Amino acid sequence: MESSLSIVLRPLMAGLVQAVGTTVFASVAAFAIGLLLGIALLVVRATGGKAVKVLVAIYVSFMRGTPLLVQLLLAFYVLPSLIGIQLVPLAAGILALSLNTTAYISEILRGALSTLPRGQGAAARALGMRAHQVWWHVLLPQVFHRSLPPLTNEFTVILKASSLLSLIAVDELSTLARNATLQTDLPLQVFLIAAIIYFVILWCASSISRGIEYRIAKLLPHVN
Amino acid sequence: MSIDLDIVVKALPFLLQGLKVTAVVSLTGILIGFAIGTAAAYGAESRTAPLKMFALAYVECVRNVPFLIVVYLAFFGLPKLGFHASAYAIGIGATAFYTGGYFCEIARAALRSVPRGQLAAARSLGMGSVQVQRYVVIPQTFSFLIPPTASLVIMMFKDSAIFSVMSLPELTYQSNLMTADTFAYLEVLGTAALIYWLCSSVFDAIGQVLERRLRVLHR
Repeated sequence: MESSLSIVLRPLMAGLVQAVGTTVFASVAAFAIGLLLGIALLVVRATGGKAVKVLVAIYVSFMRGTPLLVQLLLAFYVLPSLIGIQLVPLAAGILALSLNTTAYISEILRGALSTLPRGQGAAARALGMRAHQVWWHVLLPQVFHRSLPPLTNEFTVILKASSLLSLIAVDELSTLARNATLQTDLPLQVFLIAAIIYFVILWCASSISRGIEYRIAKLLPHVN
Repeated sequence: MSIDLDIVVKALPFLLQGLKVTAVVSLTGILIGFAIGTAAAYGAESRTAPLKMFALAYVECVRNVPFLIVVYLAFFGLPKLGFHASAYAIGIGATAFYTGGYFCEIARAALRSVPRGQLAAARSLGMGSVQVQRYVVIPQTFSFLIPPTASLVIMMFKDSAIFSVMSLPELTYQSNLMTADTFAYLEVLGTAALIYWLCSSVFDAIGQVLERRLRVLHR
């Protein structure tokens, strides 16, 4: 047993730091981009004309209605010929992940925005605030506060989904595990260890965001 | 880049064959998952400590381990334990396992949405615990259950694309076969994406109709 464990661990350990790093980097990058674009979509949807709203709704529906794997394949194989730029697998992966999470994040934020009392925006405008000030100082802080738990959940979804990057040849945790099974022929042990590693990363991620929630709750005792 | 419609027309029958496999595997798995999830929800809400811990541990596993790893574990790991199953069976099993974990969370929230006083009231009217669930609790949870359950069905339906890694001839695998043959990535993957999109939209619409109907029922 002792020796079999070391057989399993050797190929896993060799690239572990780099693989976990790539998994975390891709997820965090995709989430950060998704958050920015999600806010943009939220504001565009709330303030734009009818045509813009319909376009955003179609985008969100497509991203939520098709498998991430198919989106990854589209970003990896189709996008280069459409825009004439060959993306490295990691870039294509982060692109697809972030465009995907943008749709979910914009829906989360929209849900939070809809729970705010309708009069707040109008009241802020009546106090002489400009539109961007209303968003920045009045609406967005409350939207964030209210959407923190679902946003945390979305991050864990993205981190789990980043395992699919292995299918477009990104060297991340799942790729490492897959390669290790080919070397050792011990799939059960290797994938169990990979599952545990994912579990630990995700558990850390949710603890961190619980910490952030707690801090914000202390910073903003007047909200809610 | 122009779109070659001939390829779309040629690919469509193959893709629809794949859709059939996708639908059978994911819908069967989802239905079994509902049963597992309901059982796990009652386990998690029960006062029996081991049952409760087991249910909660199960949910945490599902929430914190990628579906791909679950599929790999089942597909490559189970044969090592002397358990040989077809890709179909593993697809159904993995879907059921994953759906169950998520549905457990949904069902727990729904069970808790029924005020506790109603349970006591029903018991004091002489109902047994099964009757309380059947006539008082469960009917009230439906409208609460529908929206997250519709999202879950769509999620698991889409996640079945991952079964292409075990060469299950579902929609994504079929489109990979087609693109390997024709290199028409845009046409084939685009068509596959549209098929998925259409199905997800149908599930979404069904969920919305059900939600509206059941909300009216309660008033």
